[in-house]
This record gives sequence, C-alpha cells and structure tokens, in this order.
Amino acid sequence: MKLVKYILAIVVVIVIALNSVYFKKLDEVKASVSAKQFNAAAYAQTFWANKLLPNLDKAIEITQLNGMLSTNPGKTFDSYSHALGIGNLRYFLVKGKGTITSINEDDISVLLQPDTSQQAVTIATEYIFGNAARDATGLININEFNNTMDFNNVSAELNKIIREKVLPPFKQKVKKGNTIEFTGAIELNKEHLDISKIEVIPVSIMSIE
Amino acid sequence: MTRLPATTNILMTTLAICILFFIGCKTSGNSGGKKKIAVIVSTLNNPWFVVLAQTAATKAQSLGYETKIFDSQNNTSLEADNFENAIASGYNAILFNPTDADGSVVNVLKAKAAGVPVFCMDREVNSTEAATSQILSDNYSGCVAIGKYFVERMNKKGKYVEILGLVGDNNTWNRSKGFHSVVDFYPGLKMVAQQSADFDRNKAMEVTESLLQAHPDINAVFCGNDAMASGAYQALVAAGKANDVKVFGFDGAEDVVNSIKEKKIVATGMQFPKVMAATAATYADEYFKGKREFPQKMPVAVELVTQDNINDYAGYGKKEESQK
Repeated sequence: MKLVKYILAIVVVIVIALNSVYFKKLDEVKASVSAKQFNAAAYAQTFWANKLLPNLDKAIEITQLNGMLSTNPGKTFDSYSHALGIGNLRYFLVKGKGTITSINEDDISVLLQPDTSQQAVTIATEYIFGNAARDATGLININEFNNTMDFNNVSAELNKIIREKVLPPFKQKVKKGNTIEFTGAIELNKEHLDISKIEVIPVSIMSIE
Repeated sequence: MTRLPATTNILMTTLAICILFFIGCKTSGNSGGKKKIAVIVSTLNNPWFVVLAQTAATKAQSLGYETKIFDSQNNTSLEADNFENAIASGYNAILFNPTDADGSVVNVLKAKAAGVPVFCMDREVNSTEAATSQILSDNYSGCVAIGKYFVERMNKKGKYVEILGLVGDNNTWNRSKGFHSVVDFYPGLKMVAQQSADFDRNKAMEVTESLLQAHPDINAVFCGNDAMASGAYQALVAAGKANDVKVFGFDGAEDVVNSIKEKKIVATGMQFPKVMAATAATYADEYFKGKREFPQKMPVAVELVTQDNINDYAGYGKKEESQK
C-alpha cells in the first residue's frame, strides 16, 4: 500500500514539474518583445504619408488666420488649433505664399502675399524641434499611446523627416527675392498670444520662381 | 430547545461579523451621502507639492466631495500606510502624487483591487494597468524648448554641466532626454560633467562648487529643477562667476521666477501644478458620474519662461490679472 502511495506521489510531482517548466527559443522570445515595443519611426512614416501629407489642403491661409486671431482669438483657437495634451500651447496647420526677404543662419524671413498685408513670418530651417508637426492636424489620438516617451519619439521622428527630406532640396536652391509656397505647423500660446513672431515648421515648401 | 452544533455557531457568528463589517464600510464610505476623495502627496515639505495637494483638495471640495490630504513624507512605506488608511476609511477615489515610479505601483494596484480609482498627478507610476489616468507635466517637450533656447543663448558652442534630479525618478530622465534631444545636435556644445543633486538646493550648491573646481571654464549649467538651479547660482555667486555662467532651471518655482526677473537665472520651464491637480479632481468627478475612458497618460504643456516673457508669469503658473 505504501509503495502505491509513493508511486502516486512521484507521478504527481513529475506531472506538476513537467507542467511548470516551458522551453522557448530565445530568438522567439526576443522577437515577441520587440514586436510589442512601439516603433516611433515606422509610426511617423505612416502618419507622414497617410495622414499629414493628404491633409495639407486643410491648412488655413496664414494671413487669414492672423486676421482672425486679432479679432476673435478664443473662437479661432477653438476652431483651428489642436494639441495632444492640455495647456496653453496649441498648434495650427497653416499655408502661405510670399517673398523671401532674408536668408539667415537659422531661418528665412518671408513677406507674405498679398503684399498689402505687410505680414511677415519666419520659416525655421535649423531648429526643427517640438510637437508642432505631430499635433497641428489633430489627427493623432492620445489614447493610442500608453507611454509618454512613445508620443515624444513620434515628434522627434517627424522632425527628422523634415530635417532630412523636406529642407535639404529647398535650402540648396533658395535665394533672396524668391517667391515661395509653404505649408507647415505653428505653435501659439493661447494665454499669451503673440502673432508678431510666428515661426513655421515646414512640412512642404517650394520656390515657385 | 435544540442546540446548534459548534461549527454552525462559528459559521453563523463569522457571517454576522462579515455582514456588519461590510455595512460599516459602506456607511463610512458615504457618510451623509457625500463621496470622499483622498489626496495622497509625496511630500508637504516642498511648496510646489503643497500647491499641488491643496489645489486638488480645494477643487474636489468645490465639486461637492469631502477631502483629506495624506503626506507620505517621501517615504514609500508611509505611502503604503496612507493607501491602507484611505481604503479602510472608505475613500471613493485617490488623487495621487507618487513617491516612487516603481515602488508606488503596488499601492495603486491595492486601491484598484478595492474598487478605488487612482488619478496620478505630476509624477507617474511605471504601470499602464494600475492608475485610471495619469496627468503629467510634459517634461520632455518642456526641456526640448529649454534646449532650443539654451543652444540659441550659447551661440551653439561652449562647455556646460548638467545637474540631474533623483536618478530613480522618471521626470529626471524625461527632462534630461528632452534637453539632449536638441543640444546633442550641436557638437560645439560640450557637456563636461553630469551629476545628480537629488532635486535638492543644498546638494546642488555642493555639486556645483566641486564641479567648478574641476571645470573652472564652464559657460552654462542646466539643472533638472529650480531648487537645484538656485543652489547652482548660489555656488556661482560664491565663486565670483555668476555673470559668466548661464543657469537654466525647470519647474517655475517662485524664487526662480524672481531670479529670472532680476536677470540672475536665464530661463526655466513653467509647470502648472494647479492645472494638473484640478484636472485630476475633475476626472474623479467624471468617473463617479459614469465615465470610464480616460487617457492613460495626459500631458500638460510646460511653457518656456525667459527674461523676454517673464512679466506673463508668476510662481507655479500664470500671473493673475491683479499681479500684472
């Protein structure tokens, strides 16, 4: 009887042990972990091609935006600005046309058309940082991200595309006096609004003469 | 009269105690029908966190809830006691400023298991499954803005040191990464030392003193918070280098806002503790009213404060009209 009990106990221990230990290939485990990791570069590429570029025609004319911000800033922010988080910093997708008045080390100055508006903006060519390109369309949903670094990295990757793909061909050819067309993103502070120093992060920019 | 068996007696007594216990819990959780919100804060020994806790409590009261502030004194085990007390006392939600991104997760999970939603304020916990939502300063983006201004003010060249906060705190690294995501593009800017001063003013003063001995030719100091920026500035004054070395902070603390006005410190990143606290209280209110979908991480924008726009700001946020 005792022998039967021992055998049963050994069988139970073996069954438990076999069901407690699993063997997996290290490559498979590594692959599953990296598959779960957020790929900001891939996300940014898809967003750039499938959401940002196809929606550039929704950008508001920058001279029109300036006029609206001067007369009714609250309503203009509510209607046209976006931001992933909460707070005073909001982003607009804008477009415009103008004449280059100076080419500087970090940006170019543009006098907007029509000339009667006498409005000027700067287009950043050096400091391509921040969340403007990510947030201006309002097409990214905060609930898609669990980690703060994920959406920070999306901004960094979008800025990298601008720095590496958008600006070099433009900077090579551009000259003072050229007329250019641009679409891009701007950041404005809703609480402390200053439309005299607008800086555009370009998403699309070309010389038309 | 027939006597019940002893085991049945024990079972009946246990059942009665359990029923009384649950009735008691329910009563204490809703005394007078008013729901209760606990505010558990990492420390009340720092005015920034006092503003955070008091704003959360005041906002929750204005929404009709009973509140109590629990001080964890930067001690994770005291924080665990605060959670146990809050849960046992029948608080219906917790507005929480954690002491430790990893160590605090277990406390939040305890509350979750007890059906008490937790809304983190300012500091995050390293779990996306524990808190109902985490309302956090956008430290990374704030330091991207500081980094850009730093490069501009330094004309893209020079030597600098970085003084980090607590190395175990996520905010420390989010700030540092944001800053370096810009500054590291410029090879003319050389970081000659990076050292922690635990977000502490006195430690930052000591660290800066010793760094100045090793690197007397630095042009700038970037600090992970304003307390450390004040300490670094103090050390520079003592070394007679306050006019030669640019100091950059982060937080928007009152004394640094004043120092920027007096042209002692170059810039800081303004956080908005009042916005974070009020948002957490509003989320709790929405939760009680049935809302269940909240963003796991909600960033609150950090604004760059310099000598050019200092008149728009006061300590811990925007300047009220009366202060302008």
